[in-house]
Amino acid sequence: MAWRGQLTKNLRELRFLFCQSSPASSSARSFVENNYKELKTLNPKLPILIRECRGTEPQLWVRYDFGVEKGIRLEGLSEEQIFKALKEFAKL
Amino acid sequence: MGLGLLASRALRPAASRLLRYPPRHGLARAIGSTPERQSPEASAAQAQPDPAPELPPRKPVAGARVHLPNPEDAIEVFVDGYPVKIPKGMTVLQACEVAGVDIPRFCYHNRLSIAGNCRMCLVEVEKSPKPVASCAMPALPGMKIKTDTPIAKKAREGVMEFLLMNHPLDCPICDQGGECDLQDQSMAFGSDRGRFTEVKRSVVDKNLGPLVKTVMTRCIQCTRCVRFATEIAGVQDLGVLGRGSGEEIGTYVEKLMTSELSGNVIDICPVGALTSKPFAFKARNWELKGTETIDVTDAVGSNIRIDSRGPEVLRILPRLNEDINEEWISDKTRFCYDGLKRQRLNDPMIRGADGRFQAVSWHDALAMVGEVIHKVGPEEIVGVAGKLSDAESMMALKDFLNRMGSNNVMCEGNGKHPNADLRSGYIMNTGIAGLEKADVFLLVGTQPRVEAAMVNARIRKTVRATHAKVGYIGPPTDSNYDHEHLGTGPQTLTELAEGRHPFCSTLKNAKNPAIIVGAGLFEREDSDAIFSAIETIAKNGNVVRPDWNGYNVLLLHAAQAAALDLGLVPQSPDSIKSAKFVYLMGADDINLKDIPDDAFVVYQGHHGDQSVYRANVILPASAFSEKEGTYENTEGCIQQTLPAVPTVGDARDDWKIVRALSEVAGVQLPYDSVGGIRSRIWTVAPNLVSVDEREPTTFSTTTMRPNTNQKISPNDFGMAVENFYMTDAITRASKIMAQCSAMLLKK
Repeated sequence: MAWRGQLTKNLRELRFLFCQSSPASSSARSFVENNYKELKTLNPKLPILIRECRGTEPQLWVRYDFGVEKGIRLEGLSEEQIFKALKEFAKL
Repeated sequence: MGLGLLASRALRPAASRLLRYPPRHGLARAIGSTPERQSPEASAAQAQPDPAPELPPRKPVAGARVHLPNPEDAIEVFVDGYPVKIPKGMTVLQACEVAGVDIPRFCYHNRLSIAGNCRMCLVEVEKSPKPVASCAMPALPGMKIKTDTPIAKKAREGVMEFLLMNHPLDCPICDQGGECDLQDQSMAFGSDRGRFTEVKRSVVDKNLGPLVKTVMTRCIQCTRCVRFATEIAGVQDLGVLGRGSGEEIGTYVEKLMTSELSGNVIDICPVGALTSKPFAFKARNWELKGTETIDVTDAVGSNIRIDSRGPEVLRILPRLNEDINEEWISDKTRFCYDGLKRQRLNDPMIRGADGRFQAVSWHDALAMVGEVIHKVGPEEIVGVAGKLSDAESMMALKDFLNRMGSNNVMCEGNGKHPNADLRSGYIMNTGIAGLEKADVFLLVGTQPRVEAAMVNARIRKTVRATHAKVGYIGPPTDSNYDHEHLGTGPQTLTELAEGRHPFCSTLKNAKNPAIIVGAGLFEREDSDAIFSAIETIAKNGNVVRPDWNGYNVLLLHAAQAAALDLGLVPQSPDSIKSAKFVYLMGADDINLKDIPDDAFVVYQGHHGDQSVYRANVILPASAFSEKEGTYENTEGCIQQTLPAVPTVGDARDDWKIVRALSEVAGVQLPYDSVGGIRSRIWTVAPNLVSVDEREPTTFSTTTMRPNTNQKISPNDFGMAVENFYMTDAITRASKIMAQCSAMLLKK
């Protein structure tokens, strides 16, 4: 779990996009609800942008240096799987 | 009111009577005057039997929707024989509007109290001995209202004759000409000759300051301006003096009208008594092209219409938006437009070795910037977006500098370490219109009257209507509603957070408490600690519930909300102090002393304001009146500006300049159209793409934000806006705003 405190090493920005009410976004919403506080406490300098918009597919985007971005759709992913995706992203 | 409509209605009684009654003697139609037409009373007394009038169904005036809050309380009235259902308590005039009949009026205004003194709205009501003033008469069940009978028409003609008796009839030199209620209605109800042979009265003009021009002889004493000043602007200066023909509107003692909303009296004046001073004799309203856009001088995003002729903006008028500005705008919004043609940057310029600027071509300017940006290290590049920037240009700037390897892109006004994570942490969650539901306000470090005049008008409206309590923490301020000054600094905030302050119980007992935090606090070193204290107060006072979110941040600038949404968060707070390359995109309010002497400064913007003095290269950009751009206001509502006038000189849209520069610098951005840039924004902050919508937030900062170990410093809260009239590059360039700050600011 130590990698969670090391997000700032490679990542410059983390973005969660989801819909406020759709069932497709429910896993992303609960992920943010359960883990945002911990992630932010461990990485106080990392912007974790949580953006909601009606009808948006749940997505996770990360930004590295030099404006390189990677994204993944979160629909149907469990909390475990989202963490795994995030870990992959953090490794570069 | 449309002229044609009035004229057609004035003609209708005769025409409809001809159609409704079949000719008695088999004649096709009667030509000439009949006794009943010569005396209108007689024809009315004849009583229209009207068994079942075949009227086409009518729609409410201007397509308004009628909301019946309580269907049992609805009553039915008949307007010209047509039945309408209206809620109890509506006036006869409102019932007529629901039935699609526009009643002529001068004194009645639906956002002001009812005066009933112009008598223009007289209608006939069955079983009433004389015509009634419809604006002041409550509609009763079964009432039969007749709006186009000869009696009503004759009554209005009489009123009109009296009004015109003392009116100067100087329409050819009057600025209201063409949009004057008196002019329009005299076309329908005025006589073609006068019976008045005496001398017209004249009234001395009043000096109401640099914004409102008065020609008091034209005044018809409708008292709309007096009611507006007392009820909405909250200044008790205007009043009615004298009686009879000596009656006049004035301030009694020579006094300027010092309200930030004073320009609205120009709009509500039905005649040419109060007109715009800067617009005087500039144009006729039919020569102007109107462009519906939004205002960027504060974070409210008031809906406006820019009236222009050719390349020049001639005036700015409000547009109706019930959720944001109703139908008012602040004086800064209305009169800042002359700043759009002063101090403009029209050519790309490079500062030569002698320290003077030299106009160059776009090619040369971009080539130079593209060359310099590669000579510095990525972490030495800093970008600052200005307070008037639109979302598209901020997105382009952030993408460009990110691609150059810099992570230090910020927006002025958001402080050194903004927290952009949760939208609920920096927008007005209640919404501007939602503030009307609040019953207790706690203003922390904010003076809404100067920071966002329209929000202040909303708070005042609520305080007036429901006697909501207002607590205020900050320096002593000049507020136009009753408020309790709780303290001047963070000390009081700590007391409130710990529950030691008497105001805590008020907050706890409130049904819908609203906390409004000023964005001036973003700039404080201890902002995290301050916001965490405010969140504690919100938690203790039960301010955030599933059905009510009373935690609000009142932003100061038009660009702020969108900048935070797009994540313009600098990686290191003091990056500007060690920068070698600074890109200022319309940023004029940063501390220029922070920029090192050897740094290369690019200024992209529309006005030669403060930052130009430090710039090495100037790239001219278009102002808000000249471009299409997305802005997010303080409540999170997305709106777009539209170009009203062409750009000045060789200036270009902000995002296009950044896009061109990215290509010169070798890191070409993957979009080259507004559509492309918006789809890019869609992957960063999708809410910025849904125009005219407010996306509600899911999570509240009160529960989600991690604890901070910052300490609150004892320094008192400051004033975020020192001079209401001059806050940005446009208003600082405006001559009218300079006059206002010289004459109207309270020193």
